[in-house]
Amino acid sequence: MTDPVVHIAQLNLQYAGEVVLDQLDWQVFRGECWLIGGKSGSGKSALAKVVAGLEKGTGTVEINFIRHSSLPPRVLYVSNWYEFTNLEGDRNFYYQQRYNKHQKNDTLTVYAELAAYAQAEGLSFGDLEKYLDLFEFIDLKGTQLIELSSGEHKKLQLIKALWLQPQLLIVDEPYTGLDKASRKKLNGFFDDLAAVGVQLVLVTNEQDLPACINRFAEIDKGNIKQVDSVQALSVDASRNRKPLPLFLQEAPVSPAEVMVHMENIHVRYGDKVVLKGIDWTVRAGEKWLLQGHNGSGKSTLLSLITGDHPQAYANNIALFGQPRGSGESIWDIKERIGIISPELHWYFDKTARVWQAIASGFYDSIGLFRQVSYEKQQKINQLLDFFELTEVKDRLITTLPLGKQRLVLLARTIIKNPALLILDEPCQGLDHTQTAFFNAVVDELCGFGKTLIYVGHYETQLPNCLEKKMVLEKGEAKVIEEMNEVVC
Amino acid sequence: MANYFNTLPLREQLNQLGVAEFMDISEFADGVSALKGKKIVIVGCGAQGLNQGLNLRDSGLDVSYALRKEAIEQKRDSWKNATDNHFTVGTYEELIPTADLVSNLTPDKQHSSVIDAVMPLMKEGATLSYSHGFNIVEEGKEIRKDITVIMVAPKCPGSEVRAEYLRGFGVPTLIAVHPENDPQGKGLAEAKAYCVGTGGHKAGVLRSSFVAEVKSDLMGEQTILCGLLQTGSILSFDKMIEKGIDPGYASKLVQYGVEVITEALKQGGITAMMDRLSNIAKIKAFEVSEELKDIMRPLFQKHQDDIMSGEFSRTMMEDWANGDKQLLGWRAATGETAFEKTPAGDVKIGEQEYFDHAVFMVSYIKAGVELAFETMVEAGIKPESAYYESLHETPLIANTIARKKLFEMNRVISDTAEYGCYLFDHACKPLLADFMKTVDTDIIGRNFNEGKDLAVDNQTLIAVNEAIRTHPVEKVGAVLRKAMTAMKAIKTV
Ligand SMILES: NC(=O)c1ccc[n+]([C@@H]2O[C@H](COP(=O)([O-])OP(=O)(O)OC[C@H]3O[C@@H](n4cnc5c(N)ncnc54)[C@H](OP(=O)(O)O)[C@@H]3O)[C@@H](O)[C@H]2O)c1
Repeated sequence: MTDPVVHIAQLNLQYAGEVVLDQLDWQVFRGECWLIGGKSGSGKSALAKVVAGLEKGTGTVEINFIRHSSLPPRVLYVSNWYEFTNLEGDRNFYYQQRYNKHQKNDTLTVYAELAAYAQAEGLSFGDLEKYLDLFEFIDLKGTQLIELSSGEHKKLQLIKALWLQPQLLIVDEPYTGLDKASRKKLNGFFDDLAAVGVQLVLVTNEQDLPACINRFAEIDKGNIKQVDSVQALSVDASRNRKPLPLFLQEAPVSPAEVMVHMENIHVRYGDKVVLKGIDWTVRAGEKWLLQGHNGSGKSTLLSLITGDHPQAYANNIALFGQPRGSGESIWDIKERIGIISPELHWYFDKTARVWQAIASGFYDSIGLFRQVSYEKQQKINQLLDFFELTEVKDRLITTLPLGKQRLVLLARTIIKNPALLILDEPCQGLDHTQTAFFNAVVDELCGFGKTLIYVGHYETQLPNCLEKKMVLEKGEAKVIEEMNEVVC
Repeated sequence: MANYFNTLPLREQLNQLGVAEFMDISEFADGVSALKGKKIVIVGCGAQGLNQGLNLRDSGLDVSYALRKEAIEQKRDSWKNATDNHFTVGTYEELIPTADLVSNLTPDKQHSSVIDAVMPLMKEGATLSYSHGFNIVEEGKEIRKDITVIMVAPKCPGSEVRAEYLRGFGVPTLIAVHPENDPQGKGLAEAKAYCVGTGGHKAGVLRSSFVAEVKSDLMGEQTILCGLLQTGSILSFDKMIEKGIDPGYASKLVQYGVEVITEALKQGGITAMMDRLSNIAKIKAFEVSEELKDIMRPLFQKHQDDIMSGEFSRTMMEDWANGDKQLLGWRAATGETAFEKTPAGDVKIGEQEYFDHAVFMVSYIKAGVELAFETMVEAGIKPESAYYESLHETPLIANTIARKKLFEMNRVISDTAEYGCYLFDHACKPLLADFMKTVDTDIIGRNFNEGKDLAVDNQTLIAVNEAIRTHPVEKVGAVLRKAMTAMKAIKTV
């Protein structure tokens, strides 16, 4: 038998004093493609990072590349989150910066980024087109990195990985932010890679996997445990439902009968048309589902409502009965809206602790700059209890598993009991159980008179309360229909 | 035009120089109401112009941009900045006559000509706002008597002004009303409203005067601090090369080191920066910085004297008139320094290593910041103003060096600051030549603690800590920093 490609023995890893991996042994042999799944917070990503050399534990970690292979002897890790820098090597982007136009070229264009990558890795552009095409990236070549949506960033990372074809490719949550069609295509590509000898390790709990996956494992008490199939992976225990805190059982004061009124909305960036003649009215109490492919303009549309987009001033929009640009401040608007989005999560203060982060929701700020009154403190504590976060209230958000992080952001956004809730792919990156819990909370919250706009890809996993639907396609509102049956 | 400051009697000079009152957030309870429904026209759409405008509009105010004809015709960046963000843009003739408040956010060098063009078009009783008072104080520009003249000066680059606002916060800001131009007594209310519109009220506002702002800004940001970091970077780098340290390492240690070291300064003052060192290194750094302060004090005093007398701005304006001959020559020379030309090496330097391997840099920054503060206070500037213009600005400038070294710093800072920077640098290097001969790699390039017994004498350590912690810049800093603890770290490393 040949040497294992990955040989790990007696691996130990701790994060901030907590044992994550404990005497872990693992071998990956040639021809194997692995799926690592299981409970959130079990150490899946940590193991992936150790293999990629991004995290150092103690113990043996050996990677044996095949010497006479046409594939580059590399381990490539595609992380769960995206990262990019501006031309000055700076990572200080701020939330919603992409909507503020500056003439300074702050970041590379997609094309320049790919050209630099090709040069660094010795790749040929001829092989790239098909990936760009399948991820619908052809039109984005001239776009600056900062202008990409979160889903597009994930795709760009995947494009690079597929293009490079490293001997060992590890992808953490490969399907995050991808819609059904894209996921299917991606699986096809994974199979193609496996066919030419790339070994895959996918970290996810998804069930629709590429055919090449032939090993399944999860991490249990710090060690790896092989299982027979994806169905055999352990799932997070479903949570005990507690009653919603009383202050959230009160219907929020509705500022107006019509929450959002948009007429003939047009937004373009240079030559790229993002929104084309959208008309949309959201009345108090309505529950909307907003759907569309990556890059169809959903985030832009929502940013017009949340006061984050300068183009709101150039369009015919009224929020809570008041036309935009008639003397209201964005803080007057934000006060009435609770929002979660992948971007908010990404740009969220990396130094924030759970309790402070939730408290900052009272002021719509990223970071807590004020004293919090006793009454408000009580509300925070009730929500911590409701979400079972009390134990971690002093932890840095970034040290929590993704699912918990998202609950913190949900708590932050509902703490002020907002009239309008805008949830932009709130379950991106969450697994089935987490999503089900999250959506159940949304349903319950919305039972008390809130207005909801919910963005989601997953036709199967949506809150029950949704009753109307709008689909965006290439910037146009294609269908507006009553969702006449309950989707579940 | 005569230097405004020099036309004042001494009593009035001291009076205006001494204005510095830290304002309580409750003084901003009226929000933006003093400007609500009024027409704000910003002249210039650059770093400050665009970002202040975006904030003011998002605060519910009516903002448009007046640009010079050429900028509109040629669709320059300023025009694109404004139109892409859907502001109304027009010529001076189109927009200025409608304005209740004109905000002049063009480069300082252009202020006189811009005001000459704009002032005749301004309506009776309107307000003129600045973000830096050079034009009023040093050039002595006189503004029509019916016009109210105010200043709202954010103490951060324009991009930070926007980023902090969107987080629901702001950047520290100085506001002032020009005593010669407040005919209706509305100046302060409008300055406060403008400040709220940019978000500044949340991060700490200093009620200042045009004179105090200019004299302290010139001394701090515009001359000493940039010069200080330039000199320190070059001296540190050259010393390491002389002693055989790998150039790539030396380049990286300096380029990113200034940022890492001053980040500690930003968060907890000189005390926090010094506390990052081991006890023996701290004592060493203290001794070195005392020596450096003795050597550099006369130079700091000369700069301050030249700024107070107007000599500094006189020579600089001469160079403006001369087509920036000196400035351009100095800029070219800076581009030729070995530090500038050696790219940072591909070596990993841990965060703590930036302190342990650069005790000289720490000492030098401590010496420079304390001296700048002391010199300003001696000259009659209030400690609060002096703090913003010394300690507070240092990390912001260091961040630009981390991005692209000295060239980047000099590109980002104003021409005035660049001019002052070279002036200081050229005088400081020869002054330190003898001292630098005594410097070895233990304090720059290698780990100071290596191979040493880390034990210290209690009494010495207590005395050193006491001296660091009780310096006046630490006292005022503790109060002002509390107002802005929430500001995010700007980080490149
Ligand atoms: N940068 C800072 O960190 C900072 C901080 C606090 C205060 N300030 C103050 O803010 C003010 C503006 O500085 P800035 O850094 O924002 O400047 P900037 O980025 O250089 O922008 C200057 C703007 O003025 C326009 N302009 C240039 N020359 C002009 C002329 N002769 N007539 C009319 N318009 C002209 C430019 O547009 P066109 O060339 O396209 O016409 C540009 O839009 C200064 O008073 C400065 O001291 C700056």
